[in-house]
Amino acid sequence: MTMVAIRDFDDATYDPFASDEINFGDIRDPYPLIAEWRAAAPVLEGDYRPKMGLVSASYPDRKMFTVVGTAEILKALTDTEHFSNAGYKFNLGATFGDGSISTMDNPEHGRWRRIFQKIFLPQYVKTWGETIVDPVVRQLMDRFLDRGTADLVEEFTLLYPFEVIYRQLALPASDVKTFQRLAIGQTDYMHWDKATEAGHKLGEYFVALIEDRRRNPGDDLVSLLANTEVEGEYLPELVLVSFLRQLMNAAGDTTYRGTSVLLTALLENPDQFDAIRRDRGLIPQAIEEALRWDGPVAVQLRMAATDVELGGVPIPAGSLLDVVAGAANRDPQVFADPDKFDIFRERRPHFSFSRGPHICVGQHLARVEMTRALHAVLDHLPNLRFDPDKPRPEIRGSMMRVPKHLHVRFDR
Amino acid sequence: MPLISVTTRSGDTHELNAEPGLSIMEVIRDAGFDELLALCGGCCSCATCHVKVDPAFADALPTMSQDEDDLLDSSSHRDSSSRLSCQLIVTEALAGLHVTIAAED
Repeated sequence: MTMVAIRDFDDATYDPFASDEINFGDIRDPYPLIAEWRAAAPVLEGDYRPKMGLVSASYPDRKMFTVVGTAEILKALTDTEHFSNAGYKFNLGATFGDGSISTMDNPEHGRWRRIFQKIFLPQYVKTWGETIVDPVVRQLMDRFLDRGTADLVEEFTLLYPFEVIYRQLALPASDVKTFQRLAIGQTDYMHWDKATEAGHKLGEYFVALIEDRRRNPGDDLVSLLANTEVEGEYLPELVLVSFLRQLMNAAGDTTYRGTSVLLTALLENPDQFDAIRRDRGLIPQAIEEALRWDGPVAVQLRMAATDVELGGVPIPAGSLLDVVAGAANRDPQVFADPDKFDIFRERRPHFSFSRGPHICVGQHLARVEMTRALHAVLDHLPNLRFDPDKPRPEIRGSMMRVPKHLHVRFDR
Repeated sequence: MPLISVTTRSGDTHELNAEPGLSIMEVIRDAGFDELLALCGGCCSCATCHVKVDPAFADALPTMSQDEDDLLDSSSHRDSSSRLSCQLIVTEALAGLHVTIAAED
């Protein structure tokens, strides 16, 4: 249908998938360290990355802080008078574009968010569960069902959320490989030239795609957004293109990580997995517990909009704050025995979709995807268990968490 | 300061002083009822501050926006008395208002 050209990186040998560890860390368990910080103070001087052994995201002209106390985390995420999202202009804004609503504050943020928010409300995304998610999941599983073994990360969780996006956007199959390389390359902040090249090339692709879908609209998400009008005008191109650029990272990468952690946790806790096999009504609480226990995105960034005090620490205006959602999710004052994965624990809201006006706009779609994925695992992979001949999965990362492999066996 | 009453999910009813200018969500949250999650902090971006409002006060409440209407549609517990409490600003006209925290979705 479309005649839009997509251009790969100039350097065809560049591998955007190889930089995950240096960007997001590969630490096995960051939580004991976070617990030590929390015991010392709710707000610490310095940024999170070097504390975790990563290269600092270095902004030498600014002071940086790490926020690990739950009350202080909640304040930084919801007190928008003192804490701004403008800190994201330096990284997300530079690659996704300054039209990314993650870089904006209200009221500008709310003006565009309400449009995206409506599209992703539960009553609308649930229809995608049947029309898009189920067929994608089934198609991927069909490739390994006869084998009785699989790497559920490489062959399933790493693929399905991205396939869902390609179908939502109705991308031509021939563009998908290059599209994924560019989309992943966008957040390769340690190779800044590649990140900006990816942002540029995805941008020109989306601009052409938007024009094409205005001429030939379909029932896909690009057509819907390209033809949405606010007060008689199309959404600004910058906002639209930034949103589409961000989608792979916000909807694909996070769901891949969240689903991988969920399946790993259930296989590590077979009694809880059995309880779900007997009663699928437990699926929602299992998903929420997996998100709490080891959420995909451990840290959010905020900037002090004014001079402000947080947790007794004076924060100068313009300082950047690494707000550690993963710290609140493991606060023993909030969640008893917080390091334990327990789908039966008292239900309290976690921080994995963040809080405040920027709370994840795709959270309901993420839940639909994870729910459909888990149902498919229960339906088609009987007696699912770790492969005794392969290494056990290791959830790693300090910024973003995931196991690289999940080797399993099941009855054919 | 107007008094409002709030019925929690366990069925207990509490009287609260409601400071004009605050939202009903803030009044309930600040009184320590953490079952009203209000995850977005009060900017009409989630539906976790859903309450049922005494119909006798319908005329005293601000009109519902399209965004609030859409968000309430996401709840399986919506009925004609449903509102998002972050959108209900306390005024003297709300003295005696009774709200019930809606069931969790």
